[in-house]
Amino acid sequence: MTLPGADIVVGTLAVAAVISAVLVVVVREAMRMALSLGVFLLSSAGLFLYYGAPFLAAAQVFVYVGGVLVLVVLAIMVIRRSPDGSPVLASRHDPVSAAMCAMFAAGASWLLLRDAPPRGPMSGTSGSADLASAFLGPMVVHMELLGALLLVALVAVVAISEGERR
Amino acid sequence: MSVPVVLCMSLFGIGLYGLLSRRDVIAVLASVEIMLVSANVLLIALARTGSGASVADLGRVEAVGVTIVVIAAAEAAVGMALLIAAVRRSGRQTVDEFRQVRG
Repeated sequence: MTLPGADIVVGTLAVAAVISAVLVVVVREAMRMALSLGVFLLSSAGLFLYYGAPFLAAAQVFVYVGGVLVLVVLAIMVIRRSPDGSPVLASRHDPVSAAMCAMFAAGASWLLLRDAPPRGPMSGTSGSADLASAFLGPMVVHMELLGALLLVALVAVVAISEGERR
Repeated sequence: MSVPVVLCMSLFGIGLYGLLSRRDVIAVLASVEIMLVSANVLLIALARTGSGASVADLGRVEAVGVTIVVIAAAEAAVGMALLIAAVRRSGRQTVDEFRQVRG
């Protein structure tokens, strides 16, 4: 994507992603956490679009925003509530943990950037045909395993629900 | 190159902090989702901005990204089902209360 002002777009998406991720980690109200998670997932879908992966961006919106976020809201409906009736989340914020995570992020960034190859020319956007060629070609085993994984997950969810009912 | 690396590692660090500091299972799962998505964004961004990546390579990397999305969705579905079952059965919803598992 070589639109004028693309840097502004990716900068806005990055800032939105970071702020919403921080909100997911620190807010106490469960619904605000779910809304922040939704903003984070939409921002990351925008980043996928910016980096030339439109199918992945669409999958992110459909699977995460449309599926996982609904699951999160459903789970919020059954969790503990505060005396005023709003669902709350317990946290134990620790400055040492925050410092360790910041050091980890800085160290991993340094390690990745130290051996980073020189920036090459931006390639074109990969289309669904390239994705299909990859999934039906060298990654056909991955695709079959994904189908099996989804089936196992579905059976597991049904078994958990049935076990609870008994 | 440096912007996506720093961005994604920052997001991963934020998710890691949420994993360590949050007590509720639902918030821990949300933090894990942040870590998975940040790794996925980094994968796509590195393939896009790395040297000499062709469109076919991008398609292959995007297929790996879709694989990660599907695995994350399956993990979230099973995790939420376990959480709802645990809360309904015993009223427990924080990771501190899950000190033992039963086979």
